[in-house]
Amino acid sequence: MSKRVALIGASAIPVGKYQTTDQEDTQIVEHEIMVKLVKNAMADAGVTKEDIQSAIFTKPRDYTKQSYFHTFLISHLQLKCTGNVMEVMGNGMTGALAFDQAANEILLGRANVALALGINMESATPAHQHMMTSMRTTGDVDFHSPAGFTPISWYAMDATRYMFEHQATREDLAAVAVKNRYHASFNPLAQYRTPISISDVIDQRPIVEPLGLFDVPPRGDGAVCLVLASEEIAKALGKPYILLKGRGFYHEGLHQISDKRNDMIAFNAARRAAETAYKVAGLTPQDIDIAEFYAPCTIVEVLVSEALELVKRGQGARAASEGETRLGGRIPISTSGGLTSRGHPALVTSLYNYAEILEQLRHEAGERQVKNARIGITTGELGNYNSALVHIFERMQ
Amino acid sequence: MNLTSMQHAMNHPYPPRMTEFTKPFWDGLKNGQFLTTQCQDCGDKTFPPKIVCPKCWSDNLVWIRPGITGTLYSWTRVHAGPAVFQALQPYYLGIIDLDDDIRIACPIIPAGIDICCGARIEMVNIEYNNGNQLAAKLYACSKTQTGRRYL
Repeated sequence: MSKRVALIGASAIPVGKYQTTDQEDTQIVEHEIMVKLVKNAMADAGVTKEDIQSAIFTKPRDYTKQSYFHTFLISHLQLKCTGNVMEVMGNGMTGALAFDQAANEILLGRANVALALGINMESATPAHQHMMTSMRTTGDVDFHSPAGFTPISWYAMDATRYMFEHQATREDLAAVAVKNRYHASFNPLAQYRTPISISDVIDQRPIVEPLGLFDVPPRGDGAVCLVLASEEIAKALGKPYILLKGRGFYHEGLHQISDKRNDMIAFNAARRAAETAYKVAGLTPQDIDIAEFYAPCTIVEVLVSEALELVKRGQGARAASEGETRLGGRIPISTSGGLTSRGHPALVTSLYNYAEILEQLRHEAGERQVKNARIGITTGELGNYNSALVHIFERMQ
Repeated sequence: MNLTSMQHAMNHPYPPRMTEFTKPFWDGLKNGQFLTTQCQDCGDKTFPPKIVCPKCWSDNLVWIRPGITGTLYSWTRVHAGPAVFQALQPYYLGIIDLDDDIRIACPIIPAGIDICCGARIEMVNIEYNNGNQLAAKLYACSKTQTGRRYL
């Protein structure tokens, strides 16, 4: 039988505002946070320092002063590796790519234990300054950025179109934010935990219409370390672990927008990547117990849940208001609180999603535990979901 | 058909770069013309203009002048934009389907307080002090269209 990969440990700091400005007397520095996370994640996994043979980092933001962060951190831990030690970057997909590459190191036989880890610090940089960089990532820098397109402006246009095609209301979308805040109220890693109502969401100031402040992700910092291992090692540890059961990737050859008419809210790449992942796993959407998406805005969660066929087309928003995607519902989505409430330190966001799936499938999620959860699914993306990376996990004991 | 020009007495908030290849587009815009590229081998029309046909990879491309009317596919109004766009806030963006089978994302200029997907549009040329911006001017929603009032 070919090699299989397990996720066996995780550690993360609560998403929040950590980044210090240059003016402050004492600074928060990234490596001091990360060395402790690696120790904690390894303790959680139950393997030792000598077992680590590869470490795949998410690339830190440019605000992180320490450059070549990956090799610098490796020196702080004196890790001697035969598998790759590297940083990956793919905008929103960064965390998912780090996990995917760490899994590859094991599948290729270069490592029996590999880390997928990273830190994203950005909160001390105001949003309008941060967007001077992010506006260059989502579109043609000479033909779109000069119009003022920003990453979430594209999602806003998805929302407009969705409301038009499916007669969905702002209240329907708001139900996703309300549900996710309810989930976050049980998650110690979440940035915002005070429950909110539909009218709280509707009454926020508009950011990119029709989306208001609570429909879009907050700014925040975060750091995560995941421990991956070959299944043999995971099994020998004698406790529950989660197995990478299926994986799918698809890039539709577009960057934000096609210059031909197409259905922009079908999230075709997510659909195709999920089809592959389901097929590899030998599972169907009906088998999924829990889902953690890379979904920066309420509308994105709706569209991804439809593309993955977890809910019917046009029903994603109503599924939230009717409780179908809430804890205790038919298919709980974003039990972590999702990107709007757990928080969105974008380059490590997907790492938080894997950590949530691990906790849920190990049945250690406490008050937000999905009963008897056995199968979980995650997504990462590029652009307006022009590309998607999907992973499916199964609980093993 | 020539593009109607609209004056914005300020500098362009984020001026684009021009290359030898894209110069005809920018020169055209300055003169009130909308130009883009079409592949002579497979017939594919693209926007933004492409130096190699994305579909068949031919470099046998010509500049064409597509029709400048179309419909609005979707839109947003941005209240929190990048630093250089603060003076324009809130500003409108949209996705346009030209009748000539090209989809474009660009600034839009609404006709009133109701904006509807499916509204008819005409491409226009916004003249800044130091450059031009392709945009779409909306016509009012028809009686059968349901608009959404902006917030």
